[in-house]
Amino acid sequence: MANNEVKDEREVLLKVEHLCQYFKIGPGTYTKAVDDVSFDIKKGEVFGLVGESGCGKTTTGRSIIKLYNITSGNIFFKGIRISAGKKMYRDAIAKAKEDLKASVIDKAECDRIIAENKAAMKAADNDQKNCDRAYSRKLVEEAKAEYLPKIEAATGEEKAKLTAEYKNALRKAKRTKLVTQIQMIFQDPIASLDPRMTVREIISEGLIIQGERDRHVIDEKVYEMLELVGLVREHASRYPHEFSGGQRQRIGVARSIIMNPELIIADEPVSALDVSVQAQVINLLNELRDRFGLTLLFIAHDLSVVKYFSDRIGVMYYGKMVELADSDELFLNPMHPYTKSLLSAIPLPDPNYEKARRRITYNPLAEHDYSVDKPSFRELKPGHFVMCNEAEYERYMKELK
Amino acid sequence: MENKLQVRNLRISFRTSNGKVQAVRGIDLDLYRGETLAIVGESGSGKSVTSKAILGILAGNSIVESGEIIYDGRDLLKISEDDFHKIRGDKIAMIFQDPMSSLNPIVRIGRQLTEAMILKGKARQKESRTLFNTYLKNLNAAMIASGVNADEATKCCRNFDKFEFKHIELESAYNTAHEAAVEAIEDIDELAFELEHKSDKDASYHIKEIVKETKASVNKYVLEEDAEETAKARELAGMLKRQYSSCKRSRDFSKVIDTLRELGGILKKAVEKPVPNFFRMGYYLTFSDKPLPDMPTEKLNDYLKEYLDREFMTTFIAHTKRALIYSAEESYKNMDDAVEAMKSERGVFERETLDKKECYAACKALAEKVGATIDKLAITKDSLTFTFAPSLKSELDSYFAAIGNNKKAEAAHARDVKRYERLVQKGKKTGWEVADAAITDLELIKKNIAHLIDRLCEHYLEAASGRKSRNFDTETIAVIDYLKESASGVVAKVTRRIAKDRAIKLMEEVGISEPHKRYNQYPFEFSGGMRQRIVIAIALAANPDILICDEPTTALDVTIQSQILELINKLKEERHLSVIFITHDLGVVANMADHVAVMYAGKIVEYGTSEDIFYRAAHPYTWALLSSMPDLDTNEKLESIPGTPPNMIYPPKGDAFAPRNKYAMAIDFERQPPMFRISDTHCAATWLLHPDAPKVDPPKILVDRIARMTKVNRAGGQNDGK
Repeated sequence: MANNEVKDEREVLLKVEHLCQYFKIGPGTYTKAVDDVSFDIKKGEVFGLVGESGCGKTTTGRSIIKLYNITSGNIFFKGIRISAGKKMYRDAIAKAKEDLKASVIDKAECDRIIAENKAAMKAADNDQKNCDRAYSRKLVEEAKAEYLPKIEAATGEEKAKLTAEYKNALRKAKRTKLVTQIQMIFQDPIASLDPRMTVREIISEGLIIQGERDRHVIDEKVYEMLELVGLVREHASRYPHEFSGGQRQRIGVARSIIMNPELIIADEPVSALDVSVQAQVINLLNELRDRFGLTLLFIAHDLSVVKYFSDRIGVMYYGKMVELADSDELFLNPMHPYTKSLLSAIPLPDPNYEKARRRITYNPLAEHDYSVDKPSFRELKPGHFVMCNEAEYERYMKELK
Repeated sequence: MENKLQVRNLRISFRTSNGKVQAVRGIDLDLYRGETLAIVGESGSGKSVTSKAILGILAGNSIVESGEIIYDGRDLLKISEDDFHKIRGDKIAMIFQDPMSSLNPIVRIGRQLTEAMILKGKARQKESRTLFNTYLKNLNAAMIASGVNADEATKCCRNFDKFEFKHIELESAYNTAHEAAVEAIEDIDELAFELEHKSDKDASYHIKEIVKETKASVNKYVLEEDAEETAKARELAGMLKRQYSSCKRSRDFSKVIDTLRELGGILKKAVEKPVPNFFRMGYYLTFSDKPLPDMPTEKLNDYLKEYLDREFMTTFIAHTKRALIYSAEESYKNMDDAVEAMKSERGVFERETLDKKECYAACKALAEKVGATIDKLAITKDSLTFTFAPSLKSELDSYFAAIGNNKKAEAAHARDVKRYERLVQKGKKTGWEVADAAITDLELIKKNIAHLIDRLCEHYLEAASGRKSRNFDTETIAVIDYLKESASGVVAKVTRRIAKDRAIKLMEEVGISEPHKRYNQYPFEFSGGMRQRIVIAIALAANPDILICDEPTTALDVTIQSQILELINKLKEERHLSVIFITHDLGVVANMADHVAVMYAGKIVEYGTSEDIFYRAAHPYTWALLSSMPDLDTNEKLESIPGTPPNMIYPPKGDAFAPRNKYAMAIDFERQPPMFRISDTHCAATWLLHPDAPKVDPPKILVDRIARMTKVNRAGGQNDGK
């Protein structure tokens, strides 16, 4: 498809590789909230993530923004590894030791594997901790290159002013973290805003943490953001409770875009809103996306909204990604039985259609036989991936034709 | 169709520190039996307030300014809190929007589910007993009055009373056994299916259940006590556990599956046995000296029928019919009297200023006359007749309590005014203002009274015209059914164990997996969707008449939303439930509703069947709502509604939606539009429907969608999920 080829040329902004996020719930028992999920998001696209509640959509989003330390897998942002889990290395070492006992491999081989994995673990630790450092070092260099020649050239008052600016820029560069390029919009606009802070404080908080000290710059930026999201300057000195639900969600949006992010993780931003307000927020996000070329990871359970808004959609079921395709393709040719059941559940404002609509139920036990052949993520046609095993793969291919 | 709930001219406002917020401004609704009425609108449009008024849980600062909510022959706005206790939760249940705040965090789920069942169970038993007794007493009295020999009538009723309870006992014993057997079959199928797929997560629990249910299904007409197959079934059920534990290791369950199949076969045969007629059997067992003859069930039924008819039933039916006809005739006669009385007395209420003594005397006389028209043997209550006297009295009360008619109130008002003026003179700011003296509209009250009387007169005329077409034979059957039903309520005991079983079944029904484990958990251990399901299960536990759902699925995702809506729909069909469904999601409404009311700023702006609203919407607000949500084929920019809903402390003079409406005309800002009738079922309040208004088209996005929808529908309702 020509369309796909164009997309492929775009830079991959975020790459998630075999992401696993387990939560310990007891001695030796884990909840696999996210289990071996891989996808990538290209610059400027909107990637939708759907699934029922508890399937790990939100956890995926939170893992990407480093709210959790991931269990296993890698997350790359702009080509830099920002998160790395260690479980896979630990598993490899354990396997090597077992193999040694069963004398499948010899001692030297085993030692080599252990050493290799230990090194990888160290690297992972390093990346996990210090991914921001490399980025801020780069920014510092840039600031130096920009200001130092100017300061050399200038004299007197000009020089003092430039030096002050330089110091400010340097401090900001040192404090800037790579991860601040990823921002999040939360689901509940009431719970996610501190009731004791004014809107100005809420929106500018990120800037201040980043090291911006100049009151005027901060104020100007806050006003700019407020106007951008359709609020007015006067709102800056108010408190969150004085706003309606839609306006509060706009504050949340303003707070995230003031950091000039490249990637926004929108975690159900419209689920808690009235229909009419929903449309306002969706339109706003659409505008911002056109204007700044934002990339979005859009997590939602309302499929009509996701369909309207996203370029590509990933469907998750119990911690696993079961299908991933372009949004039109997904709705046209849903392959995985869970996707089919999900699509059959969408209510539409059309009484006759609704009366005819039959929900397809999904029972993983009845649908799949994975006792022998384990499923994997396979590409049925360019850009359309489905979780299936060999037999199912062939069946799906036949269906597609 | 039976009208379950009527809301007439309801006005509610809230006292706040800034002034009076008018939340609901005169709405009329009708809810029919077995129907879903959806109320749609933005937050703050007054939809939740309406539903809370129906349930009598309005906030403390609310004022009900006018209107009536009629349910089961009573006006819910005027009954006492004690009476409301009997209705709330039992007859009218509500599912709230926020599942977290409607569950008690420190009480286990199971306890919360069964609590109401157990409490209501006892109350219901008592209530059914009184209901049965009073009705039978009335019937008896009517029989005697209609000329049946007094002794015979009394004996008839007493005998009916006696054997009816025997019948219910027999039947409920059979039902429990039968249900247990059916459940056992279900469990067996499920377990066999799971074992075939090598999953045995719940196996031990299932086996336990199967053993229990097999034991419970022993009854004379299901699994006969001494029969060979019963012994076999018991043996098989006993074997299950041992077999299962022996092949747990090898994970080869074929033996267990074979046993399950065999057991299932026996039970299926037992379930399909013919059902004896317990009504007749009850009579035979109570009054015949001989034991039950030993013959196959079909023959037995015929034999019993003959016996019953010969001995009792024919006379009882004849007497009942006679009593019914007599009572109806009486009622019609009284109706004529009442109409006469109303005609003569209504002049009292139409004078320039009403006289207190005279009015109350007239009110009392009318109440007596109207009360006499009530047919005590009618099963469905005639709500207009029942509410007439209390409504009239409350109107009179409000008239005579108003300033201008009441010296005390006048004095109090004068005092307030003086105090206020004194404060103002001193230059102090008061936080309050004196209410306007003419706040009660006396003319309106008089009009209301006239309307009450007119309505009842009309109603009587209507009833009289339907007099010829009444079929007393079917009515007699209905009466007997009614008696049977209330008798079964007396026998139905709810013990802790039954309540637990029922609760677990309900939990299964609403889609909670492993309910037996979940039963003992606390609310915080559930996710949002699961919690909402629990709330729904609690609401359904009491088996209500009317279910009010206040945005029940807003916080849930599509699959669960769809399941829950299906569940509500299924229950609606099964139990003839009437549902009031409040939501802002129009997709959900299309699925659920028979009728839709679109509310804005405390008024209903459009009302119609769901087809009317979705295919032929007429009000600009409905257009805006429909076009602001994307569907699967939407690509263009969404049309959001600009601005916010108006401040209801100062409701706008004209159409409340006018400032946000791009189709607004000059008159929209001046005068409120009346309801324009578009078709029999469809009406809308917008000036656009006035004959003089310019013709406008709905937004393009909406027109496109409707065209698309009708096209798809013509192609046979294609479904993209398939």
